[in-house]
Amino acid sequence: MNRRRLVLCAAAIGGGLLAGCRGNQFATVRSPDKPDMVGSHAAGAETFKPLVKQAVGELLARHSQSPQIIQASASAPAAPIQRICFVAVENKSAEEIGDFKEQIYQVIDTHILGSGVFQPVSRRFVDAGLAETRLRPDQLFVPENMRTFVAIMEQQGQPCDALLYATITSGTTRENKDYQRDYLLTLEMVDIRTGQYDKQSATISKGYYHSRFARWLSFTRLKR
Amino acid sequence: MFHLRPSAGWLVTILVVASTGCATYADRLTTVRQQFAAGNLAEADRELKKGLRRRSDRDCIKLDRAILQLASGKPKEAEQTLRVVRDRFDHLEQPAIAEIALSTLTDANQEAYAGEDYEKVLTRVFLALSNLMTDGGDAGAYALQVADKQQQIIDAGVDQHGENPKLAYQRVALGPYLHGAIREETHANYDDVARSRAMVCSWQPNFPFGAQDLERARHGRHSAPGNGVLYVFALLGLGPHKEQAVEAPTTVSLLVADRILSATGKHTLPPTIAPVKVPKVVLTPNSIHAIRVTVNGRASGNTETITDIGRMAVDQYDAIYPRVIAEAVVRRVIKKAVIVGAKEATRTDRYSLAGVGFDMAGIAWEASESADTRCWGLLPDKIQVLRLELPAGQHQLSLQSAGATGRVLGRPAIQIVTIENGRNTYVLANFPATDLVGSILTNRR
Repeated sequence: MNRRRLVLCAAAIGGGLLAGCRGNQFATVRSPDKPDMVGSHAAGAETFKPLVKQAVGELLARHSQSPQIIQASASAPAAPIQRICFVAVENKSAEEIGDFKEQIYQVIDTHILGSGVFQPVSRRFVDAGLAETRLRPDQLFVPENMRTFVAIMEQQGQPCDALLYATITSGTTRENKDYQRDYLLTLEMVDIRTGQYDKQSATISKGYYHSRFARWLSFTRLKR
Repeated sequence: MFHLRPSAGWLVTILVVASTGCATYADRLTTVRQQFAAGNLAEADRELKKGLRRRSDRDCIKLDRAILQLASGKPKEAEQTLRVVRDRFDHLEQPAIAEIALSTLTDANQEAYAGEDYEKVLTRVFLALSNLMTDGGDAGAYALQVADKQQQIIDAGVDQHGENPKLAYQRVALGPYLHGAIREETHANYDDVARSRAMVCSWQPNFPFGAQDLERARHGRHSAPGNGVLYVFALLGLGPHKEQAVEAPTTVSLLVADRILSATGKHTLPPTIAPVKVPKVVLTPNSIHAIRVTVNGRASGNTETITDIGRMAVDQYDAIYPRVIAEAVVRRVIKKAVIVGAKEATRTDRYSLAGVGFDMAGIAWEASESADTRCWGLLPDKIQVLRLELPAGQHQLSLQSAGATGRVLGRPAIQIVTIENGRNTYVLANFPATDLVGSILTNRR
């Protein structure tokens, strides 16, 4: 009995001391099969990763079945693979995406390059072209600007057939203290010669709750 | 009313101890600030090194050393120093029960210094500025951390009653301003630039260049072909620091309260003779209004305030001042309670000599307190900026302090800067008084 009390006392004192000391920050390497952390105030990996995966995957899937590929498989002279200038990721949502923007660009660029469906132009050439012409990404659709930009890209030895834009938008629905935010990633590819465009979107809806109870309540309401 | 009959000698000794106390951080800082303002960087650094012996002061001293390193043309060292302090302040945000207990029995100087809220944010601002003066590779990340840290601080400011005094905090617009400048240089992320510039306009509405920066971000371009952009950042004046002040109304209230309790209770309480000392954020008068920028002999404009550190520090401190007083009162009450507890434990009679001795010890104990005046003492009063679009090539830049009427005050400081086509060039100058201190820093010479 006395020993048990001693152990309990020691545990209580030890626990008290531990609770009262400053802990050191630590980190672990998360395994890929573990679910991402969910941003409590804004979108994070849990939102952007699936958005990019779905939008890019569907765009590439559609184009991988296009006539040029079918022709190639039928041993006809293969049409050249389209060269894509991935111009920018535009954030038009209600949130700051901070360091995610660059990552979204790199992930999309890597996916496209790896698919072999399109041939992306290196970002370094795209940035150099924009800097050289002093054109904003949204100004490229003025015909003269487009010609200037294409000419600069050709001078750099990087001709391109289409421009690609990724745009993140959001829509917010409020319900008292809680709100739902729908995130939409749109990939828009514009043929620089014909002006024809193709579009692929992916959406994710996220609920933000002011407390765990509110979250629980929302789920029960959904079940009803 | 009073039942104390101390000998005159005892009382004199106690009062002398109470009035003199120990040298505070503020006392040591005075010399450092004077040497810095006079441009004696080596002497200021020597004074700072003397303070490194006290462990609890080291982080503050490191912050001041970072400013000296920056002024001495060593931005890499400054960045390294600031990174260490940033991480340490983050670590010290967690409460430590033992330190809190010790500080309750002594004074707030016994707790490790975790930095005031404005200091935590400004650490990131100076990290961004230091990094911009080198390769600039991490400056964007530091600039994002400025807004992020501010949000964290405000989010954590909710008290038990659901009120948040930190909601009124003035935000540091320099963070988004730097982020906007860095993103604008990419020529591809004008949406980010517009967002950052809108934030600057909202957080610092009286920044005169805010509207035109936002307009350029929405509809304009970084610069015309063949041109580049020069950003001149100026650190103006000596910034806020802390001084020990006597909280007279609290002292009197405590004295009245302990006299009532002494008259009605079983034991007497040590009278609140020693004043309740609290730190106060104090501003230093600053005669410099702006920095006049001349390029190749032609006046190009004056810098304008993007972050008023002095004002921000005072406002933030005012918001948390009631908590500072409350902590000082709690310390006093606990000390008095310990003395009463000791009297009770030793069954001391309230009229006995031992009782008087306990009270004298209590007074001496209370008098040994000193306010926690640790702070980042070499911060500037204001951070100002001027953006100029210039043709690519080398230019002679001259910076000169100017007063409120526009009259120049100090000697011009000259620096050759290189402007690259389509790129940003950053310049940082320190004007704690009318003349430049140290050297003008730039990322392109």
